[in-house]
Amino acid sequence: MSGRHAVADRMGNHRPGLLNVVSSELLRLRRRGIALGWLGLTTAMAVLINVVMFQIVKNGSPPPLNGPGINFPTATTLLSDKGIVAGLPAASSMFGVVALSFWALATSTDYSTGLVRVLVSAQPRRWRLVMGKWMALALATALTTVVALVVSLMVAPIAARAAGFTPTAWGTNLGPDLASATVNLFCALLVWGTIGLALATLTRSSGIAIGVGIGYVLLLETVIKAAVSSAGRWLPGTTIAALANGGTPDLTYGRALALGLVYVVVALGAALVVFTRRDVTD
Amino acid sequence: MIDVEANRLVMCVSAHLHTGMSMGVIRTDRLTRRFGDLVAVDDLSVEVPRGGVTGLVGPNGSGKSTLIRMLLGLIRPSSGTADVLGHPISRPEVYASQVGALVEAPAFVPGLSARANLRSLARLRGLPDVRVEDVLMTVGLMGREQEPVKRFSLGMKQRLGIAAAMLPDPQVLVLDEPTNGLDPAGIVEIRGLLQRLGESGRSVIVSSHLLAEIQSVCDHLLVLRFGVLMYAGPMADLLQRAESHIDVQPEFDSDLERLHQVLVDAGWTVTTDSSGQLRVLAPLAAAAQVNRDAGSGGVTLRAIHARQDDLERIFLEMTGTNDDELAASRAAALRPPHDPGATSNEADR
Repeated sequence: MSGRHAVADRMGNHRPGLLNVVSSELLRLRRRGIALGWLGLTTAMAVLINVVMFQIVKNGSPPPLNGPGINFPTATTLLSDKGIVAGLPAASSMFGVVALSFWALATSTDYSTGLVRVLVSAQPRRWRLVMGKWMALALATALTTVVALVVSLMVAPIAARAAGFTPTAWGTNLGPDLASATVNLFCALLVWGTIGLALATLTRSSGIAIGVGIGYVLLLETVIKAAVSSAGRWLPGTTIAALANGGTPDLTYGRALALGLVYVVVALGAALVVFTRRDVTD
Repeated sequence: MIDVEANRLVMCVSAHLHTGMSMGVIRTDRLTRRFGDLVAVDDLSVEVPRGGVTGLVGPNGSGKSTLIRMLLGLIRPSSGTADVLGHPISRPEVYASQVGALVEAPAFVPGLSARANLRSLARLRGLPDVRVEDVLMTVGLMGREQEPVKRFSLGMKQRLGIAAAMLPDPQVLVLDEPTNGLDPAGIVEIRGLLQRLGESGRSVIVSSHLLAEIQSVCDHLLVLRFGVLMYAGPMADLLQRAESHIDVQPEFDSDLERLHQVLVDAGWTVTTDSSGQLRVLAPLAAAAQVNRDAGSGGVTLRAIHARQDDLERIFLEMTGTNDDELAASRAAALRPPHDPGATSNEADR
């Protein structure tokens, strides 16, 4: 891709648009550390959750409650038609942590390397830089979601056989099951990632952004929910988990989708306001 | 120390007479930027002529980078206005495609190759990939373009930073310390490149601490100190202000006092430096006459050196020669306006 998205004005000056920013950002996302790290961790998570959830059911022990972001499925769920992709919603928080981390990393390195100076002087319409980055990271997230799905499809049958299960219901409703699991996980990761982008923009530090993001969702929100149970229905962590699971008894899918959208808009809005108004002194 | 305010006024007028108000590629009008109590750029009114190479010099903390950042739209002024290529700096998107910049250290994604880094910037600007090959060739990085930037030396990163600034084939090129980290051959190469760009009608603005470098490459000069304009105008005009002197040494050290008296009697202004050497404040052409006067007084000279101040000396006279002078000036600049001891500069404002 070259400069074909750019528009030239009457004086022949290039006026690059949003797609130029997306294209530029996608090229920078190809760096080995981010590409391999993100895809590698996603693959590792997908393998791990599929192996562990079948082993837990095989051992007959009840699934751990209030675990660190993982909702282990029951044997009934695993043997149902949705069992082949049950690992995706089960480990959505872990995939989410990975997504938040890499969105934050991709954002904060613009500050740590000083690249933000170059980017803003080349594209002074700063909102385009934020939106372009968001769109590029959303595309990368879609790719990692597909990777998580493919890995689950490959590992789940092996893990099920190794645990002594023969899930006959798998494949009876494969298309819709795969589509819903993929879309739900993608939506959940999009909320996680946008929060990561916003935190990294606000703090200009991947370490702080990741620490705050993960600390809140995995620890602080658990404490808040324990203290004020009614708040649990709309807090980000609960919303994202409901989104990944296609809805829960506490939060319907439609409501989770709407709340997720609100969180994306608020986080992205905060990032836009801060980035467009703040001096670039890094 | 020269009278700062009077000099500033004269130099501003001088700059405008030389450059012409309508010819400037950059124009600032009472441009000011404060960071809390610190006034980084102070009521700056100046014009940078179109075409050629303009040097931007000043001690650390003089506001050079702040000025550059305001012109590029990275930070906003506290007050005042400025235009770049006739467009206000409040709308940098209008002129961004005609301005290339290397601000402070070159900034790239370390894990990506030089070519990938430039391609990502070319895409951001909506430029074809062929521009990347052009600028890589221009800065002499062809052959190393596939290597990750993290393996580059400081000099190579500097070349890459200049390449990135040149990507849009800009009318205005702003380079902050462009020769930083370059070896002598690289410095000569980049100096030649800057001169060619300036001669081609582009406006090159170079910020540097290397005054010899600035002197050799720049046609015009802006000197800042604590955000205040000390000089703006042609380099040649500034160098004309350089003082000359003649250092003399008698054949025998015992004749030092006698030589001093002889030269004073002949009407010369004579000073003694810290090493005891006599210095006659006189034009270079007076060296022969000084020699004759010494001989007439019965003192034979062992050495006579006629010297003229270079840009460095002039710069130090403007900005202060040591840290104490700089600190004193800084304290004066930071003094609140209601302070009875406020400087004339503050009173003017």
